[in-house]
Amino acid sequence: MDGTGIVIAFWVFAAMTVGAALLVVALRNLFHAALALIVAFAGMAGLFVTLSADFLAVGQVLIYVGAISILVIFALMLTPLAGRHNGESRYALPAGGAAAGLAAVVIYAVLNVDWPLRGGEGFDETAALLGEALLDTWVLPFEVVSVLLLAAMIGAIVLVRGDGE
Amino acid sequence: MPFPFLKGAWYNISDLSNLSRALLGWVDGWGNDTVAYIAAGLIGVLATMAFLVPSQLGVVWIERRVIGRFQIRRGPNRVGPYGLLQPIADALKVMLKEALTPPAGDKWVFWAAPILMFIPAIGVYAVIPWGKNMAMADLNIGLLYFVALSSLTTIFVFMAGWSSNNKYSLFGAMRVVAMMISYEVPVVVTLLGVSLFTGSLSLSGIVQWQADYHVWLVLLQPMAFIVYYIASTAELNRTPADIAEAESEIVAGYHTEYSGMKFSLFYAAEYTNALAISALVAAVYFGGWYMWGLEQWVPGWLIFIGKLYFFFLVLIWLRGTLPRLRVDQLMAFAWKFLLPLSLVNVFVVGLEVLLWHENGWSAGVTLPAFAVVNLALTVALVYTYARAFGYDRPRAGDIVLRSEIGFVPGPATEGLPGGT
Amino acid sequence: MTMQTEPFIMNIGPQHPSTHGVFRIRVALDGEVITDADMIMGYLHRSMEKLAEERTYTQNIPFTDRIDYLAAMSNNLAYVMAVEKLASVEVPERGQYLRVIMAEFQRIASHAMAVGTFVNDCGAWQTPLMYMFKERERILDLFEMTCGARLTCNYVRIGGVSYDIPDEFLPKAWELVREMPGILDEYEGLLVENEILLARSKGIGVLTAQEAINFSCTGPMLRGSGVAWDLRKADPYAVYDRMQFEIPVGRNGDCYDRFRVRLEEMRQSGRILKQCLEQLPGGQATNPVPLALRPPVGEAYAAVEGPRGELGFYIVSDGGPAPYRFHVRAPSLINLTALPKMTIGSTVADAVVILGSVDIVVGEVDR
Repeated sequence: MDGTGIVIAFWVFAAMTVGAALLVVALRNLFHAALALIVAFAGMAGLFVTLSADFLAVGQVLIYVGAISILVIFALMLTPLAGRHNGESRYALPAGGAAAGLAAVVIYAVLNVDWPLRGGEGFDETAALLGEALLDTWVLPFEVVSVLLLAAMIGAIVLVRGDGE
Repeated sequence: MPFPFLKGAWYNISDLSNLSRALLGWVDGWGNDTVAYIAAGLIGVLATMAFLVPSQLGVVWIERRVIGRFQIRRGPNRVGPYGLLQPIADALKVMLKEALTPPAGDKWVFWAAPILMFIPAIGVYAVIPWGKNMAMADLNIGLLYFVALSSLTTIFVFMAGWSSNNKYSLFGAMRVVAMMISYEVPVVVTLLGVSLFTGSLSLSGIVQWQADYHVWLVLLQPMAFIVYYIASTAELNRTPADIAEAESEIVAGYHTEYSGMKFSLFYAAEYTNALAISALVAAVYFGGWYMWGLEQWVPGWLIFIGKLYFFFLVLIWLRGTLPRLRVDQLMAFAWKFLLPLSLVNVFVVGLEVLLWHENGWSAGVTLPAFAVVNLALTVALVYTYARAFGYDRPRAGDIVLRSEIGFVPGPATEGLPGGT
Repeated sequence: MTMQTEPFIMNIGPQHPSTHGVFRIRVALDGEVITDADMIMGYLHRSMEKLAEERTYTQNIPFTDRIDYLAAMSNNLAYVMAVEKLASVEVPERGQYLRVIMAEFQRIASHAMAVGTFVNDCGAWQTPLMYMFKERERILDLFEMTCGARLTCNYVRIGGVSYDIPDEFLPKAWELVREMPGILDEYEGLLVENEILLARSKGIGVLTAQEAINFSCTGPMLRGSGVAWDLRKADPYAVYDRMQFEIPVGRNGDCYDRFRVRLEEMRQSGRILKQCLEQLPGGQATNPVPLALRPPVGEAYAAVEGPRGELGFYIVSDGGPAPYRFHVRAPSLINLTALPKMTIGSTVADAVVILGSVDIVVGEVDR
């Protein structure tokens, strides 16, 4: 898998991700913005595929495109003016500044870190390797994260529970 | 040899992958990688379409005809012999119909939803193992790919429901979303049991495992099959779980406002999904192309398609028989019945795999023992659950026969003369 | 944490697959739960009661067919009974028996339709309806045999019936009556213990006996709520006092009990039919009356136990050839008034099931 195919795929997915991400900010209709976010997630999944990280790509589709986006849409349904205005906000300037700062840090890091390159072919089976890494080598952090998520879930239930129940 | 440019046993109909390999070899001979790359994709798409397009027409006829028989009718029998041309007449009709767009709706999203709906519907066919070596893309993570892609349908259904600007549509869309996220959980957890047992996430690998051990997984994990089949039927929006369309409640749910070709795209996507689910059930639980030696004589892909159509017929049967559950009952069913069962299944399967591999028992003794244990467990658990959470059987005394007028004692007549 | 939301108003109908005609419920929803229900009717108003004041007594009979088009025979019978009471017309015994036979066949046909659509409203995909149609077709064939029409029969006439039954009627009727218990056993076997049907209808749309009486509900609505009340027993008309039958009564007052009451009533109707066919006397079926009947000044009310409940006609005569006032006590309309009481607090899906269990005919609601 060398040559033109992979390059074309990279540029298509990259354009898709970045373009959709820009649309999320630019679109006036909140629902359209959410849909653009989903497209950006899908583009990310495509980029994972070009890196032969197939398990990650499918995980991205399953969790981000399939589930997180649904949560975003649920949240949208609860906001007034859901279909109407992704309107002007006084936070636009500070948010833009924060985003620019973050982007600068990331770009600086990408350009200046000496990334170790893994030569040769891509992984054949990432699922088994990931499984071993998560449940063998890094089992403690994995469990800690699970407990964190559980705590978040209980917190959410406590928050939305009415007084009378 | 009529086609001298093709090498290998391309004429062998029991393994169509030979033909695809021969064609690819010929294209590869041109020396251009990109062309070969595109050709490989095209062959896959064409092969999928060669199954899907006739099947689309076929299942429409089969469903209408079989449902007709369930309902003591004849079903379509006017257009062509046995009504065989009815699907074509249907297709012409929807194409000629006016495609309305609600003026207050979200025009672009409304237009895009039915088209996008087809991406996951067709995409999942890439990993279906039609026969030995006959998956279009034999991904290592085929099972996960299937689940991930079919979960995308939710978004497109929601887009359709939202953009119609119709309250029935929005109702249907919200119901789909709520239902999908509930039923995704038992589906994934159940399939986890399969990959635990076979040690593979690839659909071809799972079928190969079943062929190697000469057993269908449904015999080893009957509970998983029941849970998966019920949950995936629910995800398909067919009765008894068609709450997203729910004709008698919310008219047509998320596609109330759709007409003409756009409506028929939803209709076709529904059938494509139903066939895909049938295919997955046939491959994962019923051995795919494996049939205890019959695949030596009959092409494996024919066996597979036969199994696939059998499960599609079961879906039609369910549709012709059962009433619909209410939304909350359906959710309760997923969380209180299917999810615990699938968790028990994963636990039991994990335990069995551990016992089997740690002790190095021989498969010939272990697998039958597991089958018996799991079957007993399934019967016991399903029965207990149904007794514990099911509805009381109506007693003979539910309806009282009286020959004189007056009040009948019962909950309804509390406090009245003659009542309790 | 509470959220301020505006009520979600949804119209169920007037064009909706399961409103059984053009009828509209305007519901306010909180999620899927109905917080307020408002019935809007009158889409099918055809001014029947006013039109009837311009036509002779006999010319009004076809109108009664079209009030409740699923129970034309019962409507004919109720109206004709009122006119006969007013004009003191005697009906020969054979005519009385034929009327009861037709009314009971009509009850079975109407209940078959009601049960079929009820299960359809529960979400079954037309199958129960088609099964129910099987027997209904045979009954409609019998009607066609006797009076030439299937739905709008115009069969019961002042003084008797329009025609005596043809020779081929009795064998066909006997065949159906003999097969009836077996057919009903099949339906009960298919439907009564269906888990999903139980889940959808048990404990849904509960109406206590007190409430049912306060809403003046009649028919299966009232009997489903534990009140054994049937005009055929309470105030026997025609030859019902000679028949042996029982009143099926539910105990919980929910949709499921109403459905069961209907199924059981079909069985009881079969019993009545059997006795009628056995006892059917010979002789004249009709006492001829003048076409332009002029009853004496006065008023009369006659009611029958129709498939949907007490179906009454109130007629005032000023001595002319047309009624001075023509009023229908339509059971569908009166049973329907209990709908908001039953639906508020349940979900949209339940509301449809409850509406199906009331078994309305919009032609009768709006007239």
